[in-house]
Amino acid sequence: MTPWAKTRFDAQKPGYGVRGAPGGNDPILQCDPIGFPRVMLMPTPMEFEQAPGRVLQFWEREHEWRPIWTDGRALPEDADPTWYGYATGKWEDDYTLVVQSSGFNDKTWLGPTGYPHSDQMRVIERYHRADYDTIEYDMTVNDPTAYTKPLVAPHRILKLKPGEEISEQPCVWSQEQEFAQRIRNPATPKPSK
Amino acid sequence: MNFDSVVERVTRLARTRAGFRLLRFVRARSVVAATNPRRLKSAPLALLVALFPALVYAQGRPARDLSGLWHYESSGASEPVAPDNLIPPMTPWAKARFDAEKPGYGPRRAPGGNDPMLQCDPTGFPRIMFMNTPFEFVQLPGRIIQFFEHEHEYRTIWMDGRKLPADADPAWYGYAIGHWEGDDTLVVDSDGFRDSTWLGSTGYPHSEDMRITERYRRADHDTILYDITITDPKAYTAPIVGPHRIMKLRPHDEMVEEICVHSEEKAFADRVADPATPARAK
Repeated sequence: MTPWAKTRFDAQKPGYGVRGAPGGNDPILQCDPIGFPRVMLMPTPMEFEQAPGRVLQFWEREHEWRPIWTDGRALPEDADPTWYGYATGKWEDDYTLVVQSSGFNDKTWLGPTGYPHSDQMRVIERYHRADYDTIEYDMTVNDPTAYTKPLVAPHRILKLKPGEEISEQPCVWSQEQEFAQRIRNPATPKPSK
Repeated sequence: MNFDSVVERVTRLARTRAGFRLLRFVRARSVVAATNPRRLKSAPLALLVALFPALVYAQGRPARDLSGLWHYESSGASEPVAPDNLIPPMTPWAKARFDAEKPGYGPRRAPGGNDPMLQCDPTGFPRIMFMNTPFEFVQLPGRIIQFFEHEHEYRTIWMDGRKLPADADPAWYGYAIGHWEGDDTLVVDSDGFRDSTWLGSTGYPHSEDMRITERYRRADHDTILYDITITDPKAYTAPIVGPHRIMKLRPHDEMVEEICVHSEEKAFADRVADPATPARAK
């Protein structure tokens, strides 16, 4: 990590896991948006739908979605920073969709451990349909403000679930708050020195 | 062949994709011609040449297709109740809820407002239809997706002939099915709603038994006429008939990401909204 990222990392207190601490400030625990690419790491399904000029990607988690523009446009130079960024895609061959994205704000974490990223982050993903019901998924995160090298995410396998539909699972602050007060906060131990 | 039958034929042509493109081209060319009178000796003729395809263009719209980004012609209505159409009498169940609901804005606003939206709980349906932000229809096989800029939300309108489920899990945006009535009107029926959302910012409640029928009629290329009827006998003694509203196509706009972010809303409430809210007069 760069010194910029290290300072952020030290200030970030996850709500769960080995770095779990009271007063956790993981944005998702108060229902701030989970953002991209963290949403890709959740064990909830996603759905692709293809429309003219774009591929729509829906995530059950948070009931979120993003358009992946496939109409040949380039990533904008000055996109307003957003939670899910700005994404363009192209077919590298008949079975591989390559998605480039940027325009992220720096408020989201890369995952529950609290690894930060900057608004300079660029993400490249490859969705390769290896057989009828299999996508091989690879992701690389480039963020020179935060990391001295690109982050190469673990190679992952996604399976088609025909006949299933995404259900509505928004993160609801009032429900999350009640859960935190009743269960999570009492159960979180103070970190040992 | 009289004028009406010409219009009818051209209108029919305009409803095919290729015909619509052709007319759009003719319209663009004729505008150029009309603004350059040397190419057409008579100004009235030039005007006619320019106006006719423009008229037909406005009439023409693809059949059974509402794709695109739409915006209310005027600002949002904030309540699904027409000004000349008072909310029907509430049942005692609804009245008790209404009295407990404290809006953050408007004449009923009070400190400690409990409008779910003001802590970024989902706005829900149909309240989201009355926000002054655009929505977009994307048509896919077997379904239409309706994206709302407000909250970066969406719902699926199933078009594959299925029925509303008898036992849908209550959801913030419900369960919706649609069918076409003629070539221009999408009729959407929905139910399966949670009762935790408000109908609008005043705090009118609804129950889980709420059922909604909406009609999106594409009156011309750029216009949808929108009607909504809410039936909820547990909460209201008669159906609520929403105000007739007009939506306009915005062909070059794209939706931006406007998520309701709890931490930001909280900071705004602490700094601005709460200090500015007067205590309610007894």
